[in-house]
Amino acid sequence: MSRQGNVEFWYKTLEQGFANGDPSFYAILVALLVGIITLFVVFIRLGKKNNRRGILMMGACDGGKTLMFSRLTANKYVETYTSIKENTGNYELTGDKTGTLRMIDLPGHERLRSQYFDQYKASARGIMFVVDSASLQKDIKDVAECLYTILTDGFVSSAAVPILIACNKQDLTLAKGAKVVQKQLEKEMNTLRVTRSAALEGTSDTGNNNTFLGRRDRDFQFADLKPFTVDFVECSARGSNGTDGDGELNQVIDWLQKIA
Amino acid sequence: MEFRDKYKDDLTQGNLSRNFNFTEDFKTLLKIAEDNVRKEAQKPKVMKSFEESQKSKKTVASMIENKKETPKSVKEQKKKAAEAVKAKAAEPTTVSNGTLDEETIRKNIEKKFGLNKKPKAEKAKTESPDANKKKGKQARKWDKGGTTKEMRELDFSAANGDGDKDKDRDLDETLPTEEDLAMLGSMSGNLGDLEEESSDEEESEEEEEEDTPVQQKSAGKSKGFGMFNVFKGLVGSKTLTRDDIQDVLNKMRDHLISKNVAADIAAKLCDSVATKLEGKVLGTFNTVASTVRNTLQEACVQLLSPKRRIDILRDAMEAKQQNRPYTIVFCGVNGVGKSTNLAKVSFWLVENGFRVLIAACDTFRAGAVEQLRTHTRKLNALHPPTKHNGMQMVQLYEQGYGKDAAGIAMQAVNYARDYKLDVTLIDTAGRMQDNEPLMRALAKLIKVNQPDLVLFVGEALVGNEAVDQLTKFNQALADHSQMENPRLIDGIVLTKFDTIDDKVGAAVSMTYITGQPIVFVGTGQTYTDLKNLNAKAVVSALLK
Repeated sequence: MSRQGNVEFWYKTLEQGFANGDPSFYAILVALLVGIITLFVVFIRLGKKNNRRGILMMGACDGGKTLMFSRLTANKYVETYTSIKENTGNYELTGDKTGTLRMIDLPGHERLRSQYFDQYKASARGIMFVVDSASLQKDIKDVAECLYTILTDGFVSSAAVPILIACNKQDLTLAKGAKVVQKQLEKEMNTLRVTRSAALEGTSDTGNNNTFLGRRDRDFQFADLKPFTVDFVECSARGSNGTDGDGELNQVIDWLQKIA
Repeated sequence: MEFRDKYKDDLTQGNLSRNFNFTEDFKTLLKIAEDNVRKEAQKPKVMKSFEESQKSKKTVASMIENKKETPKSVKEQKKKAAEAVKAKAAEPTTVSNGTLDEETIRKNIEKKFGLNKKPKAEKAKTESPDANKKKGKQARKWDKGGTTKEMRELDFSAANGDGDKDKDRDLDETLPTEEDLAMLGSMSGNLGDLEEESSDEEESEEEEEEDTPVQQKSAGKSKGFGMFNVFKGLVGSKTLTRDDIQDVLNKMRDHLISKNVAADIAAKLCDSVATKLEGKVLGTFNTVASTVRNTLQEACVQLLSPKRRIDILRDAMEAKQQNRPYTIVFCGVNGVGKSTNLAKVSFWLVENGFRVLIAACDTFRAGAVEQLRTHTRKLNALHPPTKHNGMQMVQLYEQGYGKDAAGIAMQAVNYARDYKLDVTLIDTAGRMQDNEPLMRALAKLIKVNQPDLVLFVGEALVGNEAVDQLTKFNQALADHSQMENPRLIDGIVLTKFDTIDDKVGAAVSMTYITGQPIVFVGTGQTYTDLKNLNAKAVVSALLK
C-alpha cells in the first residue's frame, strides 16, 4: 500500500513539475538522464571486457607459437625470433560459426611467462599449448612444468578453460605423434605432481597452492582432469614447403571452430 | 622519429605481418655513414693545446725529481715538524706577560734539554728496528695458533663423538621434544587448497586499463564509441623525454636504496628503465610517475623470476634413477647461515623420502663437525629408522679437523654412491671473498667434485657488500677452475629473511649480479623455516 502511495506521489510531482515549467526541474531531470546513460555505457563497456574472446598461445620456448600465430592471423610465413612481447591479432572463423577470435601469442621464456599469463588469463576462451614434437624428449621436464603451471592456475581450473595441446613441427622426420606425446607427458606429469605438491611454500604465506592433479589411486591421465577438456592434435606451422606453402593447421582450425 | 611517423598507423593497429622493405633505406643510410667515417679519417689530427693536457694541471714543485735530496728533505721535514711543534708549545709561554716566573724558567730549561733528547731518541729508534732485522728471519708466533705437536691435545672431536660413557646421556638428550614432533609431516607432499590471490585481480585491472585504448581502436566497429575516440585525439598525447623521467627516476632510485638495494644496482636498474621508456607515448590518463612505476615493477619481477626450472626434488629423483647421488655444495662468507640452512634442506628432503648424507667439509671452524652431528642426531630422532623400513635417513660423513676439504667431499660422494644414499649436502667453511688461498681451495673442491648444484648462501641483511661478495666468488670460481666451462654459482639461498621487514632489496641485488635464481629463502632457525621466493610479493613490498 505504501509503495503504491509512493509511486502516486512521484507521479504527481512529475505532473506538477511539467505544469510549472520550472527550469531547475528540467535541469534535474536532464542530469538524472545523463547519469543513467553514463552508467549504462559503463556497464556495457565492462560487459565487453568480460566477454572472453581470446585464445592464448603458450608453451615452452622455441615451440613455434609465433609462426603459428602469423599463419592463423595473416596467412604468412615469417622468420621469427624469441618473443619478448605478446603478439595479438584477430582470426576470422571460417565454416559454420562466424565471428572473430582474438589470438594472443605469449612469450614462452621462463622469465616472462608468468607475467604475461597473469595479465591475459582473464580473457582466455581457450588455451593452445604448443609443443615441439621433435625435441620433446630433451625438454620434457620444462614442457611438463609449464603445462602443470597452467593446469593448476586458479582461474583456469575454476573456469574449466578448454585446452588444446598442439604437437607442432610434424614436418621434421623425428617428430613424435600425438599419442606418443600424450603418453610421455602423462608419465612426466605423474612424477611432477608429487614433487610440485611437496614444494616449499612462498615467502608471503600464500600457502602451496599446487593441487594434486588427476586421481590419487592410479597414474596420471589427461582424461582424469574432469572439468577440463584436453585435446591432442598434430600440426605443422611451417608446412612441407616452408616459405612457399601453407602451414598444415587443419586440426587446430577444427578445434577453434569447436570452442568458438 | 621519421621511422615512427612513417609506420605509425601500422604500429598502432598492430599490423606487424606486413612486408616491410627496408633494404633501400638501409643502403642509403649505410653509404652516408661510410662516407662520414672516411672523411673523419682523412682529416689531420688536431694537437691538444697546453690547457687541455695533463701537465698543466700539475704544480711545478711536485714534478721536481732528485733522488739524493729526498732522504735529507724527509729529515729536514721531520725536524721542521718537530720545531713547529716546539714553536707552538713555546708560544703560549712567551706570549705571557713577559715576567718570567720560576716555573716558566724551569720549563724553559727542561725544553732546552728536551731538545737534546728528541733527536737522540729518534736516532735510537731508527737504529733498533734495523738491528732486529739483521738478526735473521724468525718464524712468527701467533697467540692462538698451535703446532702439529699440540694438535693431539687440541683435537676435541673424539671427546664429543661416540664415546661409550656418553652414549646413554646423549640418547636421552636427543629424544624429540613436543615442539619438534609438531614439525613432523609439515613439509611433505600434503594437499594444499587452491587459493586465489585477490591482489592479482587488482594488478590485472590496472593493466587492462592501459590495454583498452588499443582495443578500442582495433575493435572500432561499434559506432557508439566513435565519439570517445574523437575526444582522445583532442586531448593529445605526450612523448616522454629523458628530463621528464629523470626526476621520477631519481626518487625511485633513492627509494630502492632505502630498501637496501645496492647503490650501483639501483642506478643501473633505473638507467635501464629510462632507456626503455624514452620516446614512449603516454596514454591520456596515465601519469609519468605511474608509467615509470609500472615499468620498474615489471623489470623487477622479470629479474626475480627464475630463468630456468627449479625443482630440486625432481632432479634428485632423476639422479636416484641414474644410481648416482645428487650433490649440493653450500658456500658463502662467514656467519651467513650455511650449516643451519643445510640442516633445514635436509629436513625437507627427509620429509619427502630421500636419504641424505651430510659431508662435513668445514674443517676449520671449531665445533662445525659437532654442530652437524647434533643436527644429524635430531633429524634421525624425528625420522627414526623404524618409520622408514629400517634405513637410517640422515648420515654424517666427517674426517675431523685440519684435513683437505676437497678430499673429504670426494670420499663422501663415493660413500653415498656405495651405500645408496640419494642426496649429498656438502657444508664448506665460511670464507671472505678477498682471501685468495681459501677461494682457490673452494674452486678446487667444486672442480674436483662437479656437484649438481652450487648454492651461494647470502644473508638478506647485506647491503652493498653483496655486490662485492658475489662478483668475487664468481670470479674466483672462474679463474681457478682451469676448464673451458667453469662451474659457477648456480643458485642463491637468501637467509635471515625474517629479520628484514620489507627492506628486501638484497634479493634484487643478488639476482642482478649473478642472473641466477633464488632457490631457498631462510626465515628462521627451526627446521620448518624454509620457503620459496614469491617474486610478486617481494617486488610489491620493495616498491611500496
